[in-house]
Amino acid sequence: MGLFACATAGFGLRVKVELQHIHKRFGPVHANDDVSLTVEAGTIHGLLGENGAGKSTLVKILSGFITRDSGVILLDGRPAHIRSPADALRYGIGMLHQDPLDFPPLTVVENFMAGSPSTPPILNPRAAEREFRRWCARFNFDIDPHAQVGDLTVGERQQLEIVRLLANGVGTLILDEPTTGISASQKTLLFQTLRRLADEGKSIIFVSHKLEDVEALCDRVTVMRRGQVAGELDLRPLHAGAQQASSHHPEIAARIVELMFGRALAMPTKPPTRRDEVVLSIEGLVLRSDRLEIRVDQLSLHRGEVVGIAGLEGSGQQLFLTACAGLEPPAAGSIHIAGHNLTHRPYADFLRAGVCYVPADRLREGLIAGLTIQEHVALRASGRHFFIDRAEVRAEAERAIAAFNIRGRPDTYVERLSGGNQQRTQLALLPAPLSVLVMEHPTRGLDIESTLWVWQQLIARCQQGTAILFASSDLDEIVQYSDRVIVFSGGRVSPAIPVAELDVELLGQMIGGRF
Amino acid sequence: MNSTIPSQTTLPWLWRLPALVYRSGALIISLLLIGLIVLLSGASPIEVIGRMLVGAVSTPDQIGRVVATLSTLLLCAAGLVYTFNAGLYNLGVEGQVTFGAIATTFVLRLLYPEEATASLLPPPLTIALGILAGALGGVLWGLLAGALHVYGRISEIFAGLGLNFAATGVAIYLIFGPWKRPGVASLSGTQPFDESLWLGTFGQTEATPVGLGLGLLALLITIVVMRNTYFGLRLRAVGKNQYAAHVLGVPARQQLLSAFFICGLFAGLAGAIQVVGVFHRLIPNISSNLGFLGLLVVMLVNFDPLWVLPVALFFSALNIGSLQLPLSLGLESSLAGVIQGLLVLFALLGRGLAQRYAAS
Amino acid sequence: MNRSNNRFKALAAFTLLGVIASACAAPQSQPAPSEPTAAPQQPAPSEPTAAPPAAEPFIFGMVIVGPVNDKGWNEAHFKGAQYVVEKLPNVKFEYVDKVNPADRPNVKGSQVADEMIAKGAKLIIFNSDDFKDDALETAKKHPNIVVIHASGDYAWKEGKNYKGQPNLGNLMSKMEPGWMIAGCASALGSENGKIGTVGPLINEETRRYASAAYLGARYCWENYKKRDPKELQFKITWIGFWFNIPGVTLDPTKVADDFYNSDFDVVMSAIDTPEAAIQGKKAAEAGKAVKYHHYSYKGGCEPAPDICLGVHYYNWGPGYLDIVKRVLDGTYTATWTWAEPDWSDLNNPDTSAFGYLKGKALGAENEKFLDEFIKGLGDGSIVLWKGPLNFQDGSVFLKEGEVATDQQIWYLPQLLEGMEGPSK
Repeated sequence: MGLFACATAGFGLRVKVELQHIHKRFGPVHANDDVSLTVEAGTIHGLLGENGAGKSTLVKILSGFITRDSGVILLDGRPAHIRSPADALRYGIGMLHQDPLDFPPLTVVENFMAGSPSTPPILNPRAAEREFRRWCARFNFDIDPHAQVGDLTVGERQQLEIVRLLANGVGTLILDEPTTGISASQKTLLFQTLRRLADEGKSIIFVSHKLEDVEALCDRVTVMRRGQVAGELDLRPLHAGAQQASSHHPEIAARIVELMFGRALAMPTKPPTRRDEVVLSIEGLVLRSDRLEIRVDQLSLHRGEVVGIAGLEGSGQQLFLTACAGLEPPAAGSIHIAGHNLTHRPYADFLRAGVCYVPADRLREGLIAGLTIQEHVALRASGRHFFIDRAEVRAEAERAIAAFNIRGRPDTYVERLSGGNQQRTQLALLPAPLSVLVMEHPTRGLDIESTLWVWQQLIARCQQGTAILFASSDLDEIVQYSDRVIVFSGGRVSPAIPVAELDVELLGQMIGGRF
Repeated sequence: MNSTIPSQTTLPWLWRLPALVYRSGALIISLLLIGLIVLLSGASPIEVIGRMLVGAVSTPDQIGRVVATLSTLLLCAAGLVYTFNAGLYNLGVEGQVTFGAIATTFVLRLLYPEEATASLLPPPLTIALGILAGALGGVLWGLLAGALHVYGRISEIFAGLGLNFAATGVAIYLIFGPWKRPGVASLSGTQPFDESLWLGTFGQTEATPVGLGLGLLALLITIVVMRNTYFGLRLRAVGKNQYAAHVLGVPARQQLLSAFFICGLFAGLAGAIQVVGVFHRLIPNISSNLGFLGLLVVMLVNFDPLWVLPVALFFSALNIGSLQLPLSLGLESSLAGVIQGLLVLFALLGRGLAQRYAAS
Repeated sequence: MNRSNNRFKALAAFTLLGVIASACAAPQSQPAPSEPTAAPQQPAPSEPTAAPPAAEPFIFGMVIVGPVNDKGWNEAHFKGAQYVVEKLPNVKFEYVDKVNPADRPNVKGSQVADEMIAKGAKLIIFNSDDFKDDALETAKKHPNIVVIHASGDYAWKEGKNYKGQPNLGNLMSKMEPGWMIAGCASALGSENGKIGTVGPLINEETRRYASAAYLGARYCWENYKKRDPKELQFKITWIGFWFNIPGVTLDPTKVADDFYNSDFDVVMSAIDTPEAAIQGKKAAEAGKAVKYHHYSYKGGCEPAPDICLGVHYYNWGPGYLDIVKRVLDGTYTATWTWAEPDWSDLNNPDTSAFGYLKGKALGAENEKFLDEFIKGLGDGSIVLWKGPLNFQDGSVFLKEGEVATDQQIWYLPQLLEGMEGPSK
């Protein structure tokens, strides 16, 4: 410890962290809108919210990676001037990033020595190694000090980073999505370690969008939504008594879901459009990415039916949707479209069969920045002729602009359109007879008027026989417009449930992984 | 790593100047730097630029050489318009020129063997077949780079550079080995072809109508294709966002390979013209580095073929005029390379800054 | 943003690298300020035909294949041109060096000549065999300009490649006797009779040079050293060019090392660069009794004087002076000139087409032998291009008593019997 102790003596133990009235804008986005948060010393404080809710921005402000526009940070009641990560470290605040900020070509000990503000000019590798081993022994970490960091697993790199931060005298530890990509046993060890550090008096901020992790670990949780604090809950009742007892407090889970997603559920408003004919059927589907494995045993979509996918983001919805659209090959299982087996067939065959995918990230995946609306229209029509008939394409673009009420001209570049108009453009580009429409967040970022309008268009499609499979983080949207709902939770997939059988409590439990 | 670097939106408003300011600012800085370098090498900057430009147009010979250089440069640049628009940095264009030249030489040697006294076919037909072979050779080398990139997932930059080495290696092997001049193996190249196989020129200059015609035709086709066809549109879509283009149903691989195909075709033609129109034999550096110059030209015009002609003409003139540096000013002519490089570098820098920071 | 931007950065860096590289290259290869040559000053000959200084100067241009400071072939030509400028009033000299496709892409020798003629040059000299096509092209295009192609044979009526171009002439120093002297010195310096040669590329010129060296070595080995010619092992390894081009030629450093390491105690260099000297010095420092012989540059003994047997070098000044004078007074007709040395004073800069400097390693006794050999070559008492001589493949080159003609020597089709190394 001697190596680093002097620099941080004043902030070693029991620090109460307060953030008051934090504001941060990124252009038009108000990422943190008057956010206040208090973390008592010796507690683990969860920070929960959907992607984009503003939680990462908040902790990056605290750890000095982003400077706030206004607001105050108090440490034990004294104002702290944090303008950079080095400032934060001097105040004993350290952050463990989702992707560890280490140096993969170096060895573990070299990493351990690097990045310390108090590293003496002449390094003493043997002393550092001794110290490193002491820290590891304390927390039952098993890392070879001479291994290359590049060869470690994500979990081991995390452990290394924790040890490095602690050796630097960190009293406030921030963890950003630490349970993504690590094994179950590593997660257990991580939680034990965090609990022990909290018991020693350190303040821990645990950022996650995983309800179950927050429930299992945190003493308190602050839920953020759209840049603001939606509410704060005491989770200690969950831990009172036996560890397994947590499932007996469904009302807390429901309360969290409510905080995350808003008021009580809306009423279903979708008219019946479902027909008898099955258009998409999935059997024994297994999908793998580097962090997730998803199994969907059976799912059938009927013509005219809408199936909504609920669940916290990053639970595998995108993987599933792209597989259904033919963009990602499954590891096992089959996909039939209108009775034809299209498993492992090229994406072009899915397109020909009338499957279309509308991604959430419109400008990265759905539209092409740098091309105009009419060029997109022409692109969709591509293949019929060699030369572009400009007049015809322009006329068609004008028709689409009028029909879909897009605020732009045929020669407007799509990146200049507002989010709503981009979404309208995406819808305008959909081909006319369509069997299956696969959508991700169909109305994210749109105002109420646009949202309603979009769903009118979509329901009109359903009436023509199109089946829609969509994922959304807006539970209202799912309940309002779906015939059936499936829930993704950490790679597990619930059976499809008719929307009439749903209530907030059930949804909350399912999103928390209990089904 | 998380994106902790401040994005453009966090910049203070002071930074958000019009794009033109960045571009012209970069140009001014580059001119100042060039002036400084010229001064340091002991000459007057005005005189240097003046001599280089005047030295490109003061005799019919010089104009002819500018036109000859322009012809090859236009072919390379036209080809590169396709790859750049498809989002590819086809540094392999040099190798495609070289391999085209090798293929041309191969066919010409086949149709006019060393011991023969006349071409086996009428000379114009022989030349035409030679040029065709050059195009095919370029296509082969282009598709090789394309296959390495599309199927082998190798960066097209490294695939291209590797194939450049390979093409030069083949050329040197042939020049020193099977195709060496009788009695001599030398870097000066193979035995020159009989004059009946030389492309006709404008007067006594080195410019050939066929070369210039091919260059202009290639550029014209490119302008039409990029502006008026679905193919050009799909190419731009793939270049701007390969994934989104794929999602929208554009066969991205096919488009990428097509871009390599066409670029190889034009580069191979350039190599053929270098053989039958300029050097009349195969030499190791048959491309005269005009492929690399083509890269700079196309980057400068922001991949828009409409502007290729004037910029290519300017660089051809600079290239030819650079011989005046050692001749009349006693300066090393690689100074011309420094001038050219700085101009391009700062033009790109200006563009990059404008894209990143400029107020829209 | 992401992908293309990274590419963009990579490319920008690439361009920058190029800029820096050429910027660094620039000052280093500045043409050296024309310093006076080391030639002993003679009173300038008063030329009746030379115009008074006020008139337009006579300009001659030289297209030089390599750098003018290469301590070899190109520097010798450059010095020759400077010699002309010193000797004649009101004569100006323009040159462009490094005219080859690697150093100056998109520049051909004929183009450089066009430029010089446009600037008023009345005489163009091409200094390399590589320019034979350019020289002919230039001569055809500019019939009023005299074009000299050094080392070529297009103007040799009795030669195989006569083109009949009235304004194209050739000049070549007759270096074959120089090579005989070099071969002799090497044989005198060798104890075990194993002589290695680091050769450039194979052509007629290099074949006759290597053969001349062998003839000189054999003569001196037999007549002065009184050793059996069968004990003489004369081996040549061609690297492929006049200097090392990594990846294209053999590495001359390695070739020289191989000789020194496999018991060759003398290595002759026939290339422009000093690898034989440098590796020889290393071998000598490691205790090996080795020596070397250098070629084409007066200072060839400087890298390792103690083990240097000698050096033969070109002296183009007199030859060029003669041509310029005759062009000036209008008496030049296109001829092929094989310029002779001055046997009475080999190292006379005003008269001899080549020179020979003895090295320290030769030793006093061998110096006497070598002087005797040179004297014999000069007065015609020693004739080595004389039968019986066979080619490497055993066929007859010269019958008993037959003396080779200039054509037989110039167009020598093979190495001679007794030499090791490829002929083609």
